[in-house]
Formats: sequence, structure tokens, C-alpha cells
Amino acid sequence: MMSTRAGLSVPAIKVSVDWSKPLFAALAALLVALVLLPLSWLIFYAITDDTAKLTLSNFAGLVSDPTLRRPFVIAIGMSLGVGALSCLFATPLAWLVSRTDMPGRSIIRAFVTASFVTPPFLGAIAWEILAAPNSGVLNAIYRWMFDLDPYEHLFDIYTIEGLVFAISCYTFPYVFTLVSNALDRVPSDLEEASAIQGAPLFTTLRRITIPLVMPALLAGTLVAILQALTMFGSPAILALPAGFHVITTKIWSLFQYPAKPHLAAAISVPLLMFAVLLIWTQKKILGRRGYTTLGAKSGAPRLIALGRWTWLAWGFAGALLLLTVILPYLALIETALTRTVGQRLTFDSFTLHHFHFVFFEFSATSLAMRNTFLLGVMTATLGTAIALVTAYIASRNVVKGGWILGYLATVPIAIPGIVLGVGLFLAYSNSFVPLYGTLWILLIAFLTIEMPAAYQQFSSAFKSVHVELEEASRILGATRMTALRTITAPILRSNAVATWCFIFIGTIRELSAMILLTTADTKLVSVIIYDLNESGDLGAISVLGLMLLIVSFAIITVANRLPVFGGAKLISLRG
Amino acid sequence: MSFLELSGLSKRYGPLTVVNNVSLSVERGHVVCLLGPSGCGKTTTLRMIAGFADPNDGEIRVDGKVISAPSGSLPPERRNMSMIFQSYALWPHMTVRENVAYGLQLRKLDKRKIQELVDNILATAKLSNLAERYPGELSGGQQQRVSLARALVVEPNILLLDEPLSNLDSNLREEMRFEIRRLHDQYRYTTIYVTHDQAEAMTTADVVVIMNGGSVEQVGSPEDIYERPISEFVARFMGGSNILRGRALDHRTVDCGGVKLVCANEAPQKDDQVAVSIRQHTITIATQRPEEPTNWAEGVVVRNVYLGANRDYVIELASGERIRVVTSTSSPVENGRTVWCHLPPEHCRILTS
Ligand SMILES: Nc1ncnc2c1ncn2[C@@H]1O[C@H](COP(=O)(O)OP(=O)(O)OP(=O)(O)O)[C@@H](O)[C@H]1O
Ligand SMILES: [Mg+2]
Repeated sequence: MMSTRAGLSVPAIKVSVDWSKPLFAALAALLVALVLLPLSWLIFYAITDDTAKLTLSNFAGLVSDPTLRRPFVIAIGMSLGVGALSCLFATPLAWLVSRTDMPGRSIIRAFVTASFVTPPFLGAIAWEILAAPNSGVLNAIYRWMFDLDPYEHLFDIYTIEGLVFAISCYTFPYVFTLVSNALDRVPSDLEEASAIQGAPLFTTLRRITIPLVMPALLAGTLVAILQALTMFGSPAILALPAGFHVITTKIWSLFQYPAKPHLAAAISVPLLMFAVLLIWTQKKILGRRGYTTLGAKSGAPRLIALGRWTWLAWGFAGALLLLTVILPYLALIETALTRTVGQRLTFDSFTLHHFHFVFFEFSATSLAMRNTFLLGVMTATLGTAIALVTAYIASRNVVKGGWILGYLATVPIAIPGIVLGVGLFLAYSNSFVPLYGTLWILLIAFLTIEMPAAYQQFSSAFKSVHVELEEASRILGATRMTALRTITAPILRSNAVATWCFIFIGTIRELSAMILLTTADTKLVSVIIYDLNESGDLGAISVLGLMLLIVSFAIITVANRLPVFGGAKLISLRG
Repeated sequence: MSFLELSGLSKRYGPLTVVNNVSLSVERGHVVCLLGPSGCGKTTTLRMIAGFADPNDGEIRVDGKVISAPSGSLPPERRNMSMIFQSYALWPHMTVRENVAYGLQLRKLDKRKIQELVDNILATAKLSNLAERYPGELSGGQQQRVSLARALVVEPNILLLDEPLSNLDSNLREEMRFEIRRLHDQYRYTTIYVTHDQAEAMTTADVVVIMNGGSVEQVGSPEDIYERPISEFVARFMGGSNILRGRALDHRTVDCGGVKLVCANEAPQKDDQVAVSIRQHTITIATQRPEEPTNWAEGVVVRNVYLGANRDYVIELASGERIRVVTSTSSPVENGRTVWCHLPPEHCRILTS
């Protein structure tokens, strides 16, 4: 426009094309495709038969066929058990860590993080090594101590109780994080007011503290229940040998020969509905006013002196950490370094045989590692970029209805991994879009799964960046895209790095959705671990598992050094 | 034709009209102040000029070309304007030099030229020794100057300022007020300046626009606005005036509770209910009854405060209304005395309400 700039030394701005509108349209299309396509195919299969005729017979089967009905009952019972046990583990531990002067609190937090990062299927395998009725290390020790017969055993992990325990070891951190955050924010004056009136510690706890953290406790428990309900790895490893199915393993079995995709789709629908219901309830609980007003911090909480109870507290915390982290890790290390499972690790029995096997002999692993690494990097990079732009559009209201994009990006949080796997399989294994058997379908799955957490990261980050920072660059001549690239993204760079790290970790530990989508050419490390478990090769599993863990911890350590890291962000990692 | 023209501009958010039919002409090189109470739509008007918001009605023209209209607007990056934000909006990840150079880099100037222009503006804004610092390491006043330098270095056609001084303490604010005016006189950019501080408007503006509830109340020079308010709102907002209510006896005379006031301007209609404003410092006090009662009001001194430079009286009139009078400090009148206040006709102004 204005051409009259006589006497000025700076030329008028010549703005390049603003790509934002087409880009946003493309992004909207992508998110719609990611989320709605698999769900539509899932529903379509659920309500049709092999000849594509509408039918409700698939659902009728769920009610009439006991082999389909039973997994639901068992899965729900198991999940409730996991919820209860996670609570039992996490609540006292969170209280001890947040509210008492117990020594070594930061060590305990570090161990809880370790349990958080451990893929539950790996934990289940470790517990196989520890507590299988015959070969289990703990049972062997038990027989040795009491000089018992070879078939006597103390523990049997291949039971519903064993399964509940093995899952809870890796879901209790969800409860722990929420409860300890809530405890950190309980205003200490409320507690002091009660104490001053002469109430003993336990009365104060019961009347004041527990009611205040109740919403967090409930919300955390619901997350644990959701995790258990939608988990594939641990039940597949522990329930199948025990001879029973949960919903996820049943869905998987319906894809074994002869495949029954319509039935699998139908059985996925109630699971999806359970998940939506749980997420919805959890949101409602956390969104309640009473809980958010707790956020206003008033002084550091007063720590309770444990005195002679310290030993008891450490006994509890120690036992918990022993069971959830230390013993399983030791079991994996020992198995990785000895020739047969259960062999004591000594100078004589030490061997690198399994490492040699995994890295040099077993051809599938190098391919799987390459695939996992490639997909991890691609998903993390693409996912971070997409989440950044989506959060930008949604929170800055760039286009009318931009908030819908944000909504779409958070939908997958309520889609269980295996259900997504079914949907993607149905959507991309037909002749229209033949992606099944390629890495693309895995990339799509990973992006969908990781999108909610990544989006939420950025969406809260955007609230802390003043809009005027972007506007200042636009009025000086930057298009939306230039402003995003030169101002917003650099300001959010530590959020971006953190998001990248967590997507990467989430990707390398994902199993539930992948189990239906990988083929011989597109194996991943997590799937290889599951395959090796079927063939009983625990040594190789331990090597691969330890490798996964080391990579995860290395990345977490890097991310932890960033200023914006917060424990709560791990919440959306899945098993 | 003026350089910048707003005509019939309106902006609605849902049912709420936050800018209502605003028209304004700005000459090239002038400083125009938008002045008004909080929430009256100043920022919204400025954001429409900048292109961050589209009007629902009306249009904005620069040099005769339409840049904003309900049917579509030029995006902000194509307007060759600069804006100074209330929060300064300095980019925390860039040094002072990088902040200032940003706009020039977007204009694809070569490195040497950029360096030269940035050095010049930094010197003008007295920032040369702070060039390598980050915004987080600067004081409020320094940040303010960086944001000025960043806006000026691109030689904008129009400079927009949104309450640029509201975050500063009062000493610094006064200093920066003259600084902005000095820089303006040096570069002569057409400037729109938003503030709710009338002293700021008085010292910086060529033209003051008083806004109220989304509409323009009065446009005029600072002197116009101060000496000749046209509405009760403007008179009250500018402060320093007494406002008396009454009935128009004829076009120039108003009866305010028994006091007959001849005024400088004309009332719209005989027998109308009107208000009359008179500045506190134009009133004089006499202790003797005047011969001619017109424009004289009888009252009792209820308070008198010595303010050093002058004396501040509160006088209760026979009608029960209280007025304030500011006079010189000589010949004090003690509380309880009956006095006669002279309200000179040339300073009595009839207001529309
Ligand atoms: N995006 C928006 N949506 C809805 N209402 C808005 C929006 N932006 C501004 N408003 C409303 O418009 C009115 C005018 O706002 P504006 O920011 O223009 O006021 P202002 O004159 O700049 O006030 P202040 O002196 O406090 O900055 C306010 O009532 C405000 O609540
Ligand atoms: Mg404002």
C-alpha cells in the first residue's frame, strides 16, 4: 500500500505469502483423519457382517456368548482390584513423602519415577521371572529355605491376584503423583487449626487432610483403573498362561486365525465406552471448584515429625520399592547376565551370551531397533510440530472454530490403545489405503496416541506466553508463520524439547496398539519382547528391556534438566 | 482528505458493542490521544487500526485506501505501522539489539545497513550501552525505551501506543512523556496514543479524543477539551470543574437554584434542563455583597485548605450544593463566613448531558 515514503531510509515492508490458512486447513484435515477415520471404520465393522449388511448380531454375541462375556467381567474385576491396590500403595507413600520428615524422600520420588517409566509388560515379565510357580526365583528361595519338594510354591503370578499385583506395581505412580501434588497444596493452616484445637494427628488426617485430597485420590484411582482396563501386555503375559482372557486379550485373539474382525470391532465398542466414561468422570472430579481453589498456595506445608515411627515408614516405603522396582530390576539384570533363568549371578555364571544373541545373532532385533528408533524420532518430531501448531490455532483463535482442533487433538486420550489398533487395522488394511504392513500405519498410530499429551503440554504453555509478544512481531511485518517460527517457538523451546522427549519415550514403550499393526517387516522392540516371551526366551527379553529402560532414563534425565519439567506431564504415558 | 480516517467504526463482541460508530480524521504527523475511562474501547479501537481486529461496521482508510472493513482487512504485517504495547512485549529470548533489529531483518535490509540504523536509534534512545542485554535484565523505563526504539527503527507510517507509560512510576512517567514527544518532534510520525491519564494526553497530544462507552464524546485540542468541554462527561472526566444543574431561561442564561448565570455558549432550547460547568480556579471570592447579582452566588465557607501555591475552599451555596474554589493564598477567609462567589460569564459553559 502506502508508497509515499520519500525521505525515509527504510523501505516499506514487502510481505511474503501467508501460508497459515492453507496449513491450518491441512492440519484440520489431518487431525480429522487421524481421529475420525479409525473410529468410523470401527463402528462400521461393528454394525455390519461379512457381506456389509447392517446387523446387530455382533453385539448380540457379546451378551449371549459366555466366552465373550466372561472377559468383560474379569477385566472389570481386575481393574477395580488394580484401582484399590494402587490406592493402597500410593496414598500412604504420597503422604509420607509430602507431609512427613521421613529421610530419603527424594530417593523415594526417584524410585516412583522409575516405576512410572517401566513399561508394565516388562514389569510383568520380571515378575514371571520372580514368581512363576516352578521356575520363579522367589519360589526357589522359599523351597531352599524350608527344604521343600520341587513343586511346592509360595507365589503363583499366573493368577488373577498375581495379575492385579503385577499391574498395580506400575499404575500406582498415577495415584501417587496426583495425591502428592494435592497434598503439597493443602494449606497447612487448615491442618494447624485442627491441631491447635487439640485434635490428634489421625483425627486431623481423617477429618481435614483426606477429605481435601479425596478428589485427587479418586481421579488417580480412575486413571489406574483405566490403565488396567485398556492394558494389553501384562494380561497377555500373565492371564493367557493362566487360561483366562480379559477384554484386550480377547480382542487380540479375535485377530488370530480365523480372524473375526466384525466381532472384534463390536467388542471394542463397550471398551471404548468404558474408557470415555472413566475419562469423563475423572475430568469432572478434577474440575470441581473445591479442588481448584486448593490451588491457591498458602505457605509451605508443615512437615510432621515421625520420631520413632520413622522405621515403620521406611519399612513400608522400602518394601513397596523393593516389590515394584528393585526386585524386578534385579531379576532382569540377573537374567540378562546368566545363561538360564533363576541361575545365581556369580563370576562363574556371568555371561554376555544374551547380549551377543540380541545384538549379533537374532536378526529380528536389529530391524526392530531401527524401526523403533526411526518411528520414535519421527513421531516425536512430527508430533511436537503438529501439537505446537494445533495448540497455537486453538488457543489464539486464529480461525473461527479453531478450538475444535484442540478438542480433536485430545479425543484420543479416551481411545484405548488396542481399540485404536483395531480401528487403524480396519481403516488401512483395505484396498483403498493399503498401509497395513508398512511403517506408515505405525507412525499414524503413534501420532494419534501421543497427540493428547503433547497438545496439552503446549496448550498450557501458550497460556503463559502473552499474545502481545506475537502481535509485536506481526505489526513489524511478520506473517503468522514467521511470528510462530521466530518468536513463539523459540520462547517455548524448552517445552518443545520436553514434549519431544516424552513422545519419544512413550513411543518406544507402546505395545497395546502395536500388537495388531506390526508385521514381520515392521517389528518394534516392544513387540519383539512380547514375541520372545511367547517362545520363553527371557534372557534376550531382559537385555532388550534393560536397553529400553536405559534409553528412557537417559532421556528423562535430559528432560529433567529443563526448567519446565513437571511430574504431572508423565500422566499420559501409556503401557 | 486526512491521512488516517476512521469512519463509522463499530466493534461488537456478541451482544456487547464495545466501539460504537467512531469517526475520526488524523492529519499526517499529528499526535492524537484517545483518552477515556477503563473499558471505553480505546484498546479495541487501536487494535482495529493495527489490523488485529476487524470492524463490524465502518471502515479505516489510510491515504484514501481502505485497509479495514467488515468485508476484509489488510493483515497487520502489511500495514507499515508500529505499535507499542502496554506490556512492552519485548521478546525475552532476544537481546536489546536483536529486538530492535527484528523489523529491519524482516525488511531484508543488508547487514551493514541494519547495524547502522540500529546503532542510530539505540543512541537516540540512550540505550547504546545496554545493547547486548536481555529484556529481563532491564528496568521498566529501559524496557520502555527499547520498545520505543524497536517501533521507531522501521520508520512506520503510523505509530500506535497503548498506554505505554502505565507501568512506570510517576517520576519516570513524566520523563518518558517528554521523551516520547521529543522523539515525535524529531521523526514526526503520525501517532495514535491511548491513555486514561489526562495529564499524559495534555502534554503529548495535538488532538485529544475523549471516548466514553465506546463512542467519541469530544474531539479537540488539549485547550479546547480543558477549557471548553461540551458534555458533562468530559467536564467531569477532565476534573477541576464545578458542575451546576439548572434551567435555561433563554439561550445564554441559566438559573441554577436561584443563581442566574450568563454563559459563554448557547443552550439548545429555552426551559431545557441543563448543566453548567465552571473551572475551580476561575471563580473569585468576595466578602461584600455585589451590586449586580447576575453570575454571583452566595454561600458559606465550610472548608478551607492551604495548599502552598494556592488555597482550596469548599463553599455551600444557598441551594445546598457545594462548589470548590481554588484561589491565591492571599487574604484568607475563615470557615463559617458568608461569601459571594463570582462565576465569570466567559468561563461558564453550558453542557449537553
Ligand atoms: N475479545 C473480547 N471479547 C469480549 N469482550 C471484549 C474483548 N475485548 C475487549 N472486550 C470488552 O470491550 C470493552 C472495551 O475494551 P478495551 O480493551 O477496548 O477497553 P480500554 O478502553 O482499552 O480499557 P483499559 O483502559 O482498561 O485498557 C471492555 O468492556 C472489554 O471487556
Ligand atoms: Mg486498554
